[in-house]
Amino acid sequence: MDEMINEAIRKFQKELNGGTAALALLGVLDKAEKPMYGYQIAKIIEGQTGDVDIMKQGALYPVLRSLESTGLLESEVEPSVAGPPRRYYKITGSGRQTLAKWVEIWQQTSDFVNAILKGGNHD
Amino acid sequence: MINTIEEYLAELKKELSGSDRATVQDALADAEEYLRTALNNARESAPAAQEAEALAGIIGRYGSPGEVAAAYKEIETRTPPALTRVAKKVEPVAVPVSAGLVAAAPITAPVAVVAARPLYARFFGIFWDARAWGALLYLLFAMGLGIIYFTWAVTGLSVSAGLLVLIVGIPLFALFLLSVRGIALMEGRLVEALIGVRMPRRPLFSRRDIGGWQKVKNLFSERQTWTAILYMLLQMPLGIIYFAVIVTLAGASVWLIGRPIWELGFGIPAFVTQSYVFYTQEWAMPFVMIGGVLLLTATMHVAKYIGRLHGNFAKVMLVRE
Repeated sequence: MDEMINEAIRKFQKELNGGTAALALLGVLDKAEKPMYGYQIAKIIEGQTGDVDIMKQGALYPVLRSLESTGLLESEVEPSVAGPPRRYYKITGSGRQTLAKWVEIWQQTSDFVNAILKGGNHD
Repeated sequence: MINTIEEYLAELKKELSGSDRATVQDALADAEEYLRTALNNARESAPAAQEAEALAGIIGRYGSPGEVAAAYKEIETRTPPALTRVAKKVEPVAVPVSAGLVAAAPITAPVAVVAARPLYARFFGIFWDARAWGALLYLLFAMGLGIIYFTWAVTGLSVSAGLLVLIVGIPLFALFLLSVRGIALMEGRLVEALIGVRMPRRPLFSRRDIGGWQKVKNLFSERQTWTAILYMLLQMPLGIIYFAVIVTLAGASVWLIGRPIWELGFGIPAFVTQSYVFYTQEWAMPFVMIGGVLLLTATMHVAKYIGRLHGNFAKVMLVRE
């Protein structure tokens, strides 16, 4: 029984993350002043969200690549002094437009869910 | 328990076995970037700490190989490799976040549109397909590149082989192999840019865990050094074939399309036997020209198809497993 609940929890979190990770990454890169590589982005997210730990930072990378393949981000590889070459991402024009829509949808969605979860006065 | 970054990468690679090779490359490059940067930072802030302990904390935040592999597989299943070409304009997409499909939405929507186009639109649409033009360009270049590669490979091999009996032959041979890997990387970028087959994004020698001597030994022992030499040798005959096929087809198309000009303008016959000279009948002119246009369009399809075959061949020969 516990196993089943755990599975349901994991599945729910995973499905939510599928969308929110993309939204969060676009949000971070929209505010960024210059292109950033994965580790920097992960650290910014970690710094802003503190101990809210709902997704592994490793799971952000494939989302970055998928956002790039759909044209919402673009990237460049640069060699680094201290290790392997780094891929620097920045947001594109269509990425900004998409983000604006996504933020709107996110607001609506969270309002919608909150309104239901808080409940109303329906006797 | 994972004690080094190399162990982590090996584990991740195992978890990803069966995935697209380019995905594995991407995943390894991403993990290495994160882990090395994080470990360097940890070392600077607390030089005395145990490396394995620091790494355990870092992996805790990054995700275990299993978790990370699952994330890449998830994305891979949403992005069919053959359909990653997206419509040029990415419209702002409105998809409910709660469906958990936001990342997939911009990809799947345009693909559905492409698949729904009628046959004639798909056939003639090839002229608007950047991949087809890229492949065409690549196939025309391939002969020139092939001649250069072939010359370089044969010269390098024979000079090194000749001098192997002397000591200088060995470092010379190593230098030659190094140049082969460099050329393989460059060729990979070219194939990716023009044909669109994903190729390795990691320059050679990005490993930091092994010394210079081991790197040189790897140069000799790794499969793709030798398959890259083979690729360089094969590129010349292949390039000649590609060039001949494309130029013949395109030439024949132009010959057909331009019939009215060649015959009526310059009096050049359609074909000539020993005793007769044939001209195209007037009623047949339009059909001949239509045939030429069809052949030209088919040529573009052929170029795209050969390009894709060659791209996959290049991937097998040049990419590290």
